[in-house]
Amino acid sequence: MQRVAHVSELSPVTPTPAVEISDLSHVYAGRDGDVPALSDINLTVPTGRFVVIVGPSGCGKTSLLMMLAGLRAASSGTILCGGRAMAGPDPSRIGVVFQEASLYPWLTALENVEFPLALKRTPRDERRRRADSMLRLVGLEGFDGRYPHELSGGMKQRVSIARGLVQDPPVLLMDEPFAALDEQTRMTMGHELLRIWSQTSKTVVFITHSLTEAVYLADEVVVMSARPGRILDTVEITLPRPRTYEMMATDVFGRLRERIWHQIRSAA
Amino acid sequence: MRWWTVVVVRAAILAAFLGAWEILPRAGFVNPLLLPPLSDVLVTFVHIIGRGDVREAIGVSAAEVVVAFIIAVPLGGAIGVLAAENAYFGEIFRPILFYAFSIPKSTFLPMFILAFGIGFQEKVAYAAFSTLFIVIMSAAAAVESVKADHVLVALSYGATRGQIIRRVYVPSMMPIMLETLRIAMIFNFTGVMIAEMYGARTGIGHMIENWGENFQLAELFAGVILLAAVAMLFNEAVRALEVRCSAWRT
Repeated sequence: MQRVAHVSELSPVTPTPAVEISDLSHVYAGRDGDVPALSDINLTVPTGRFVVIVGPSGCGKTSLLMMLAGLRAASSGTILCGGRAMAGPDPSRIGVVFQEASLYPWLTALENVEFPLALKRTPRDERRRRADSMLRLVGLEGFDGRYPHELSGGMKQRVSIARGLVQDPPVLLMDEPFAALDEQTRMTMGHELLRIWSQTSKTVVFITHSLTEAVYLADEVVVMSARPGRILDTVEITLPRPRTYEMMATDVFGRLRERIWHQIRSAA
Repeated sequence: MRWWTVVVVRAAILAAFLGAWEILPRAGFVNPLLLPPLSDVLVTFVHIIGRGDVREAIGVSAAEVVVAFIIAVPLGGAIGVLAAENAYFGEIFRPILFYAFSIPKSTFLPMFILAFGIGFQEKVAYAAFSTLFIVIMSAAAAVESVKADHVLVALSYGATRGQIIRRVYVPSMMPIMLETLRIAMIFNFTGVMIAEMYGARTGIGHMIENWGENFQLAELFAGVILLAAVAMLFNEAVRALEVRCSAWRT
């Protein structure tokens, strides 16, 4: 055992980052010529990190999300996920959790979670087993037969998270998942997400408008500017883990939030 | 309101209606020549559905309705989907279809008689024509009811085109499509009846029209009861299907 440890010390391997975005730029054709959407994005997300992207509307978050999910190609630059380029959607590498109302109303909670596996023609038993364990992970045991309209907003997003995780991707990409929830539910869901994250040790890329949410959740906050979307700054969130609600009242929390707000304001 | 209250009130209204139908003509409040008492109509009803010529007429009308339905629904559905999905086609044809939809279709009936002659083909063509537009509009609405977010989710999970159609489009469109079937059948039925009343040699619409001309009001009302029964039966069948398919849609 000791010998093995010794060898690895002698030849240190830099671990492949979970996500690596290099020199990414994107231009789309608008009515009056080309419109730059993203400009010169460089971002490395190490494995296991919780990275939150914040920025005003029009900062190209949606474009970035679509590219990370493999749904759209960038004009230039590369996105590597687990060291390999995203040629198209690959839910075994990146699981996406969308904004509210992305569940299928004609499927039960369990069937919604099974959906990505059903597309891959996973055998029924395995599908059920994996979806069941995901529902348990997100705290929805016993709700498998409910339809989305029978669930609260927070519960629906729990189902969405379970659906994103069901193929066990190393990276979870979340697009303002709690934006439509009321403040109280939103806080609870943030807390729940951190619990799930610590239990599954995923890498999370989380997009939000809420600075409080960003500081509360993140290891690192990436601040973007609008038109074109550029990275203004990355702010290391030094708050200890596990995070608690009380931390929001601390000076450190306030200063971090202030710093991000200031950058967004000065760029506008 | 408790459910049995609703049932009782409904039954009472129905009983009052049927009772009035029986009593008013018998008591002389209404001219029994214009409104024969219910019991007379029911006796006539039993009599006419035993008649060979009436049965044949029912068969002909039913065949016309079914064939028109088989033509109008897939054709209208395909055009509607195309109008909603294909930007060029939609841009060009949507306003045309929209205005064509608002023209009373019966004004074209003489044209169908000239083109096809009086008979089965003319009835089917006219009924299909009068149904086509509502099917097109509904099919387009059904496609538009598919949420972009739902398609995006499927795409992000690597769904193929076929999987998106089967697992997102079809279930999303199902409620409106079922409703469309029901409406299409009503339009079809109406189309066949109008065409038969306007000019025909057989068919139940023609018989009813004839009974009216000859002042055989008991037969006429018996015919109306027959059509009402058929329409309700079909309506309930589609509704049962709807309830089964959209349990999630409460």
